Formats: sequence, C-alpha cells, structure tokens
Amino acid sequence: MLSVNAEKNTAGQVGLVDTKLSQQVQTTVAEVGNALLGKDHQIRLALCCLFSGGHLLIEDLPGMGKTTLSYALAKALGLSYNRIQGTSDLLPADILGISVFNQTTSEFSFHPGPIFSQLVLADEINRTTPKTQSALLEAMEERQVTIEGETRMLPEPFFVIATQNPVTLAGTYPLPESQLDRFLMRLRLGYPDQRAERELLEMNTERDKVEAVKQCLSLEEVIAFRRQSAEVSASDSLLDYVQRLIAFTRGKDEFHFGLSPRGSLAIMRSAKTWALMCGRNHVVPEDVQAILPSVVEHRLRATSEDDGHSGASLVQRLLNEVDIIE
Amino acid sequence: MELSYQIPRPALIWTLVAVVLVLLPQSIRMPIWIGVVALFCVCWRVLIHNGKLNYPSRKLRVVVVLFTLIVSFSQIRNIGIGLDSAASLLALGFVFKLIEMRHKRDIYVVISLCFVMSMVAFLYSQSVLTTLYVALVVAVAMGAMIALNRSSSVVDNRGTARLAMKIAAQALPLTIVLFLVFPRIAPLWAVPMQTGVNSTGVTDEMSPGDISQLARSAELAFRVQFEDGVELTHGQLYWRGLVLDHFDGVTWRRSRNSSAYSVAASLADFRISYDDRIRTLGEPVSYNVILEPTQQPWLFGLHLAEDVNDEFFSGRNFELFNNGRITQRLSYDLRSYMQNQTDVLLLDSSRNRTLELPDGGNERSLEFAIGLRASVSTDREYANSVLAHFRQNQYFYTLNAPLLGENRIDEFLFDTMAGFCEHYASSFTYLMRSVGIPARVVVGYQGAEANPYENYLMVYQYNAHAWSEVWFEGEGWVRFDPTGAVSPTRIELGVQEALRNDPAFMEDDLFSAARFGGIGWLNAMRLRLDAIEYEWNQLVVNYDEDVQFELFERLFGEVTEQKVIMLMATLAFIVIVAVGFTVINIEPRIQRTPIDRFYLRVCRELAKINLVRRRGEGPIAFKDRICAERPELADAMAELTDMYVKLNYVGKSVSGAEQKNEMQALQTVYAKLKTKMPALAGLRRTG
Repeated sequence: MLSVNAEKNTAGQVGLVDTKLSQQVQTTVAEVGNALLGKDHQIRLALCCLFSGGHLLIEDLPGMGKTTLSYALAKALGLSYNRIQGTSDLLPADILGISVFNQTTSEFSFHPGPIFSQLVLADEINRTTPKTQSALLEAMEERQVTIEGETRMLPEPFFVIATQNPVTLAGTYPLPESQLDRFLMRLRLGYPDQRAERELLEMNTERDKVEAVKQCLSLEEVIAFRRQSAEVSASDSLLDYVQRLIAFTRGKDEFHFGLSPRGSLAIMRSAKTWALMCGRNHVVPEDVQAILPSVVEHRLRATSEDDGHSGASLVQRLLNEVDIIE
Repeated sequence: MELSYQIPRPALIWTLVAVVLVLLPQSIRMPIWIGVVALFCVCWRVLIHNGKLNYPSRKLRVVVVLFTLIVSFSQIRNIGIGLDSAASLLALGFVFKLIEMRHKRDIYVVISLCFVMSMVAFLYSQSVLTTLYVALVVAVAMGAMIALNRSSSVVDNRGTARLAMKIAAQALPLTIVLFLVFPRIAPLWAVPMQTGVNSTGVTDEMSPGDISQLARSAELAFRVQFEDGVELTHGQLYWRGLVLDHFDGVTWRRSRNSSAYSVAASLADFRISYDDRIRTLGEPVSYNVILEPTQQPWLFGLHLAEDVNDEFFSGRNFELFNNGRITQRLSYDLRSYMQNQTDVLLLDSSRNRTLELPDGGNERSLEFAIGLRASVSTDREYANSVLAHFRQNQYFYTLNAPLLGENRIDEFLFDTMAGFCEHYASSFTYLMRSVGIPARVVVGYQGAEANPYENYLMVYQYNAHAWSEVWFEGEGWVRFDPTGAVSPTRIELGVQEALRNDPAFMEDDLFSAARFGGIGWLNAMRLRLDAIEYEWNQLVVNYDEDVQFELFERLFGEVTEQKVIMLMATLAFIVIVAVGFTVINIEPRIQRTPIDRFYLRVCRELAKINLVRRRGEGPIAFKDRICAERPELADAMAELTDMYVKLNYVGKSVSGAEQKNEMQALQTVYAKLKTKMPALAGLRRTG
C-alpha cells in the first residue's frame, strides 16, 4: 500500500514538476537495485533520506545487505566515502583524526580521520562504546569537528549511513533515544522476497554487482535536488493531517512519549522530498504515509516494551487510525 | 517564603483601565481628594508592577484602614448616611485594594468591584450616555478578566478586546429578555439619596434675584408630551409650580401652618368643599411630564391640573406634591382644565393669607396704589391700570437688576424700574394687596422649546418664571403676568428671544448647546440628542411593574399566575438549553472545508457499493484500489481524485470564486461517476 504511488504517478497528474528529476531518481533506484535485489522501496527511502540532507540508520540482522546498500548508494551518487567499522575498542580519534609529530618538520601535522568525507559508512555503530558513538553523532549534528582546540568543517554534503544490529544481540551498546533522534530515518531491509532470493542465488558473487554500480547523479544534482525539495508546497489540509498524526502520539497511554518537534520537522522534510521524487511539487497524504514508518519508528516507544521494534506497531496504529480528513 | 505571583502585564493594564474608567464619572461627584487618592493608588500599583515600589507594609495598611474609618465617619457626620457617603467609602476601599493585589483572586475582587461601582453609577444617572458608558466599562472589565486568564506570554490586546466585545454582545439579548420579563421587585431597602446635593429648580421661596439666577442655567427642568391634537400657544404654557402667599418685605414664601389645629382646619376646609371650589369649562388637556430630579417634592403642570393616576397630593392652592423628594426622574400624567374658575367663594383663612402685608415700609407704593384704585371703579380695572403703568413707563426687563435696599417695592417701582419677572410679580402682587384685593405670587416655568423629532416640549431652567394670581369677586383667581406687560416677547416668543442681547442669560452654561441655537446643525444635533434621551426615558427608564404588566397583557392576554409560571419556566428552559449548547460547542467542532465535505460524500456513496475507503487511506491510494477493483469507474474516479488532490493539496490559497468554479467542476465529474455507479450497485446485488 505504501509504495503503491511511487511508480504510478507519471503522466496525467496534476502539479507535476519537470520529470527529469524523477527519471533520474528512477534510474538511480534501478542502478542501486541491481546490487540489492527486490528492495526498491528501501532504496527509495534511503535516497529520500539523503536528498533531505539527513543521516540514515540501517538496522537489521547481519548478512541482510546493509553494507551492500550503503556502498551501492555511495557509488550511485558519486560521493567520496569512507568506512568505519565499529568495534568495542574503536576510539573517537580513530574516527575524527589525530595529530602526529612530524620529525622532519618538527611540527604536529593533522591526519584527518575517516569522518572527513562526503559519505561516511559507520558499520555496526552499536558495537562501539558510547564515547565513540557520541563523537560520531556530534559530528553528524554539528557538521564540524573540534580536535585539539581547532574546529574543522566537514565536507558538504555530509551524509552518515550507519548500520546496526538489532539491539537484542549480545555485545552491543544500544543508542539512546537522544542519539537515535539524530537520524532522519531508520530503515529495516528485511528478508528478500522469493523472486529476489532466487535471482540472488543464481548470481555468482554479490561483490561484483556492487562494483558494477555506476554513478547516476552528480554532486550538483544532489544539491539541486535538496534545494528544490524545500520548495515543495504543503497545503493546509495536509498540514492538518500531519498535525493530527503528531497529536495522536502525544498524551496517549500506549505511547511512552510523543513525537518531538524535531520529529515532526523530519516528517515534513522527508515527505516533501518524497513528493519531489514522485515528480510532484506538492505533498499528498500518501507521501507522508510512505515515509512515516522509517521516520518515526525509531522515535517512538511503546509504554510496555516487549521488544526493540515496538515503534513499528505504533506507526501502524497511526496510519490506520488517523484519517486524512478529520 | 511564598512565591510572589506576577500579575500578567496585559491583565494589569486592562484592570487599571477599567478602574480608571469606573472612577472617572464618580470622581466628578465625589470630593476631589478621593480622586487624588485614587490616582495615587493607581500610580503606586504601576510602580509595584515595575518593581520600583513594594507592597504596603502592615503598618501602612493599618494606617489606611484607620484613615478610611475616620473619613467615613466624618463623611457621615457632614453629609449624613446616604448614597454619597456610601459611594465614597466604597471608592476608597476599591482604590486601596489596588495596591494590595497580590494574588489572582485579588484581581478578581477588584474586577468584581468594578461591576459594583458601575452599578453605583446607575444610582446617580440612568441616561443613555451613562448606560453606554457603563457598557463600555463592563466590556473593559471583562477584557481584564480575559487578559487575566490568557497565557502571560500572549500579548494580544486586540484579540482580548474583540473577545470581550463578543461576550458583551452575546450577553445583550439575555439582558434584554431579563429586562423585559424579570419580576420588578420593589427595593428591599431604600438608600437615602443624595443628601448632600442641592436642590435645583424653582423653590418655595422667592427673593429678588432667585429666578434671574435660574435663568442663567440651561439645564433641563422637564419634558412634556401632549396627547395628539393639542395645540397650545407659547403664551398659554404657564407651568404652575407653587403658590407663594406670605410676604415679609423681602421674600415670598409658602405660608406654613404653624399649628396642628390650622392644618386640620385647612384640611377640613379643603376636604369639605373641594368640588365646590373649582368650576371647569371645556375639555381637559392630557399630557405626560418627565421631571428631572429636583430634590424637592413639588410638581409642575398647567393650571388646573388633575393627577390622572391619583398618585400625588393636591395642595391647598391646587399645587401638586409628590410623596417625598424627587431624587430620580419622575414621569407623571396630568389632565388640565385650561378654562377654570377656582375659589369663587374665598374662605376667610385664604383671604386673610392673601391680603397680608408686612408691617410698615414701602409707603410710596401704598400711596400710589390707593391713588390709582381711587381713579378706577372696579378691581379688575385697577389691575389692568397697574399693568398699563408697567407698560407705559420706562420699565426694563433684564437679568441684571440693580440691588435694592430697605423698601424694595418702592425702589423698584419708582427708582430703578428694571428687573426680572420676580420683581414685577412681587410688586404687582404687593400693589394688589395694598388696596385689599387678594393676590398671590405663583412660581413655575413659562414657555417651552419644541423638539420636532419626537414631538414633545423641553422646559429649561431659564424658563423659570413668576407671575401673580388675583382674586376677583365672582371670578375667583385670575392669572396676571406683569412681565408680559413689560416684555411681551418673553411670553409670546420665549425667554431666549426676550433676553437675546443680555450677556447674563445662561452664563452658567457657557458652552451649552442651547447657547449656540443660532448654528443650525448644532441646534439640530442638540434636539436630536434630547429626543434620543427622551425615547430612552419613555422606553427603558420608565419600564416599571405596571408597564411590564401591560406588556404581558398585550402579549399573552390576561395575566394569570399560571401564565407567569409558564413563561418563567419556558425562559428558564431556553436559558438552560442555550447554556447547554454553548457548553457542548466549547468542544471545537470539526470544521471541514466544502471540498472535504464533498469528498467524504463521494466516499459514502462509494461505500454503498462496497468500495469503502479505509481509515487513513489517502485519496490516491484509494483511487488506485478502486481502479484495480472496478475498472469501469477508473476514468471518472481518476479525474475526480485528480481534482480533489489539486484542490486540497496543491497551492495554499485559492480565491473564493476560483474555488466555487472548481467545486462546480468537481460536481460534474461526480455526476459522471454517479451515472456509472447504479449499474455496479445492481451488479453487486445480483452477484
């Protein structure tokens, strides 16, 4: 139901923007889809997150293609990228960089860490210690790092795609709510469907596919897309709907806490980008519904928490119980 | 230590404005120092709010209480227990509370006191202007309450004012209904009114200069409305007030009976022969008089006035008296027999009274009178020749009469020869009595100004007048107006014409509108305002138990207890239902746009053929589902959804006309969709 509008909104629709953008998005999705089979919707969401200028958290069991997705995205967007593998002994300096004494010049020279790139892939972020996590997350929020008293700007654009294992697994440090909030979206890939799985099994190696992903969008196009998405209009009726969604999460017993204003801004930002990706210059309720699970799931927690995924059922309630017309 | 409550700034401003507005009209009536104290307290309050001053200390508060006590005792001693002393005590407490407002409830107390103080204003005056002003005060006080209950971070005075106005406007219908139907209960207690206020208008004493003093004032004395078809000339409008028959050489007074015996005797005289004392001719003239408060008991009317509703006392000389001083506007109906004869047979007691002269003095007048009487044969000829004397000699009608010494009548008649009506009436009466003709002075008003807008007459203080009544054998009392002999203009055209060039005329009211009667539009405005005031009086102020009863009778026929109870019950029911609805409506009603309403209707129609839009399902998703399920509807549905999405989600503002067109287009598409639906409905039924 949620992805239903993605492909169908082509000709004959009202309020369309120039279709070049949506076609580009289409090719990008297809290109990344070659590497990660049968996950078009997740790829779209990931692109939406990046186009909105937010950071992405991919959460799933090991071996579900988290890293493949991040690699493929980096390649398709043509961004310079670095990878950080989260381990329990990873230190902040390993991410941010370090000053090393150069004996020939007798000076300290700064060796930038992997954070200084346009796209940072932070693998298994919940396996690092909270100290390291917070160093990374600070950089995500501020888009700058301060090392040894000197503030250094991070490149523009700056995206972080972090992956994590579900927190129920042993040896992990779950990210607190305040840090989860920094991620615009959290995606879960899930098992591939039968057809995709079969295709996967017929292939030789996965690695080749990732290497074969071609660049589909230039940096300028990504930035232009981001700029344009801010101009997508949201009518009063739509804002009413979003407000009702947000209000639904607040002051209810099932919800441990409601959505923060940052959460509601995230909804609007992503919905606008989604609308633009579908080739519309206005947001419709379906856009909101499409991005809602990935944007708010990690920001919500049920009062009685049985497992780490209680957000999903809450979002489903939101979608089913808040009508588009009051 | 308790946390001090900070009154929200807008609430404080509103409250202070309400307080100042409430006190403003009061301060005119109250001693000036109360105004000063009030101003002081308001300033102190503002300084407290700004953190410049602290709340009054306990010591100071004790001092203030003592001060108030002393002041109220001295007030009571000076002006007696009455409205004035009570009002000033209330005002003092009210302003002192200002500097003591620490908590929210204190402001509520002050605001409630504002309402009480506005009611006090009605005790003094019930004019249109007062009512409008009090309405303003009430609205501002409500604004204060609203401001107090808004979040302190919101400074939206315009919104507060709008809400206050709205609430006041909503209260208006209820007020009118309650005004009309609420039982008029006589006051359970009576406040002694305005003990300190001087009486106004014609008094029961007339010294030279009294009436000319009144002529300097342009205050309204009373208004008169004749029944339709009555046409009287200006010269006929003698509003008779009191008969003054005792003269001590300076002042004319009503003779007061000194002993209980004489009261009884005169009452007996009067009772026995009342009907014999009067003889009337022709039809009476009926009219209604609305008298401004005079603080005196007597009433004014055309001679010989009969009280229609039998509410007043009739005096010995056919004067009319109210039971008690007139402290509020009084409306009364009279019937006057313009052609009448009274006291054709004069009782000895009356004759003695009306012949009485002060001992000694005024010898020249006495000589003059006797000489003149001897030259004519009848009393009436004598009276006429006295008038002729006034007419033929150089007598002046003026407000600025020269001061008179010991023998006032002599000096006036032969030396100064200039005076106002009281001089003429006084000397005329004296000359009559000198030769044994019973005569007396009558004070009242003469003339009136017509208000063309509402067809009534206005009588001002400057219309105050004095004239004489002379008794002739066989004729009874006959009115003589010596002023008319001197200045016919005064009687025929009015005092304004007669004194056009007299600078003293109306000098107390420098800026009164009547002074500028020459300016057309200003005069019209004055008359129009007075007409509004008059209507107000007739419709609102005079609405008492009787009028209410009449209204009920006119509406429901005969008034029975059952009907009254029914009416009350109905009204109570209406009020309860109205309040109930209001309470229900406090829950914000869902306000759907016409487009949304339309779309929901379409959804309801589709639900009938089993195409139910799920809760939370967006329009495009719904359309896609319908297209898949029912390809027959696809085109129409797609068009309709496109339009709906366009209207609802594209573009933020669409002009009203555009929206209307779009809605019409939507309707046509819907009609198209509908034509296809019955077939489907049938399909479903068969399938």
